[in-house]
Amino acid sequence: MSVKVEVGAGGIPHNQILIYGLVGSLVLIYLTYLNTITGTLYFSFFGGLAAVAALVWGTDTIKHLCSYGLGTGVPSAGMIALGSGVIAALFGATTGIFAPITTIIIAAIIGAVAGLMANNVVRMNIPVMVVSLIELAIVGAMTVLGLAAMACGTFEFLGMITGTTVILGFVVQTYEASLIGGSIVAVIFMLGAIAIQHSFNACLGPGEKQDRTLTLAAECGFLSMITVAIISFAFIGLLPGVVALLVSVIGWFYTYTKYIALSKRDAYAWLDAQPILEPKGGA
Amino acid sequence: MSALGGPKQTVGVQPPTGMGLVVSIVLIVVALALAFYLVQMAGVLAVIGIIIGGVLIAFGVHFVPVGGAPAAMGQAPGIATGVAMLAAGAGLAGLFGGAWAAPFGLAVALAGGAVGGGLLMAITCTMVNVIYIFGMGIPAASGKVAKDPITGDTFPEYKSQGTEGHGLPFISWVGGVIGGALGGLGGTLIYLELLDIYQAQLPIILNTTVEQIAPVAVSLAGIFAVGMFLVNAVLAAYNITGTIEGPHDPKFKRFPRAVIAAAAASAVTGIFAIALLRLIGGF
Repeated sequence: MSVKVEVGAGGIPHNQILIYGLVGSLVLIYLTYLNTITGTLYFSFFGGLAAVAALVWGTDTIKHLCSYGLGTGVPSAGMIALGSGVIAALFGATTGIFAPITTIIIAAIIGAVAGLMANNVVRMNIPVMVVSLIELAIVGAMTVLGLAAMACGTFEFLGMITGTTVILGFVVQTYEASLIGGSIVAVIFMLGAIAIQHSFNACLGPGEKQDRTLTLAAECGFLSMITVAIISFAFIGLLPGVVALLVSVIGWFYTYTKYIALSKRDAYAWLDAQPILEPKGGA
Repeated sequence: MSALGGPKQTVGVQPPTGMGLVVSIVLIVVALALAFYLVQMAGVLAVIGIIIGGVLIAFGVHFVPVGGAPAAMGQAPGIATGVAMLAAGAGLAGLFGGAWAAPFGLAVALAGGAVGGGLLMAITCTMVNVIYIFGMGIPAASGKVAKDPITGDTFPEYKSQGTEGHGLPFISWVGGVIGGALGGLGGTLIYLELLDIYQAQLPIILNTTVEQIAPVAVSLAGIFAVGMFLVNAVLAAYNITGTIEGPHDPKFKRFPRAVIAAAAASAVTGIFAIALLRLIGGF
């Protein structure tokens, strides 16, 4: 019993999506640094948008990798992406302003090791394995770093481990009410993992179209963003939180509507069905 | 799930390439040297613990009976989901058990992790057979061997035509419990090694008390353990390619490849988890 993984041809070339995803997520995550420059927290939502850009790119990478037939489920690619990504993201976060760049480099190293192990030791013998696992590790890392920056307003490690709490009217600094101390990073991990592994798994099969799959990836990303926006109320306060939530909901609604429209288009094309024509002027 | 057009791995066991072996050994040695340079002997011991943990996870995954999509349709024995998902379930259940028992010392914590992982697999395997036998009305029969190596029950007369077997024979059930226990043990070992390092070093770096920093140390060790767990589990899943019945399955003999790959991947991810300490506060 085997399930054939069919990948639709055509669409935007993978390398183009790679460049858009890499540059896009890097620029978007750096835009959260406006928080530090302006001294506000209104720009946190850019972190979530960086995660969405990375997720769209990662979904296309999974599609590219799985077209070679992994012999195991599509979700496993998402799990290794986030597993290696979370290590790179938390390591990278300790390097301050260089965090996003360090994260990309470290993720590439971990991805390369995993890819070399998969090809040369486990003998997967898939030509794109090393490149794909490097890409996936970067995607996972940028997703974690982006969503973490969205939740707490900064991509710097010290900001992630310190939070404030009010005791008897005094604002006290504490490690417990923080992104990492409160284990919110575990929630972010799973939100990213589900978002990255779902899209291609849901769309694969006959009639798979790139635009539909990638729209679903963006929709899953915005769905994760909504949850992170709600979490962020605890860290960045009411108004910046509302801004983040609004951006997430608008993004989700737009991609969801588009995804449903694309699904209808493809279902119609695949089923070879004909629309029932209403007679003019009523029956 | 397997895919058509994928690499042919079922015929014989391809040994790791020379380059793969050399790269693995070099990576492990470099990681140990770096650990000694960064955190002296404690770092070396931690990396060794992490490597042992990763190897236990990769080895344990091979015991778990995975049926994938065919099992959901009653066409293959095993649990009806992918390797990475099952390993994550067993390992995380074990990790929670071990983390809860961490204050009681290394031995109790490791036992707690093993029991947690084994228990989850025992419950899952039992419920799979309950659904197969009482829900679908088919007895457990292996397609890979004629006789159960433990109970001596014979299978061919119970195996339905056109299937690879179905349900979970006793040997697969035992394999699942062993696999879950090994996975939980490995995950807990990684967690405890990292927790020790963080609890010793973070208070000095951040100038706080051990109690204040405890949430950050626990959360960091936990999320890194989860990340390493998934990387190792997916490498093992790539080694298994699709379905495996348990220790009696011919694919089980492939485990040395996954063990080598997991050792190298754990060494590299482990060194980043430890090197993080040197960078906190430096930027």
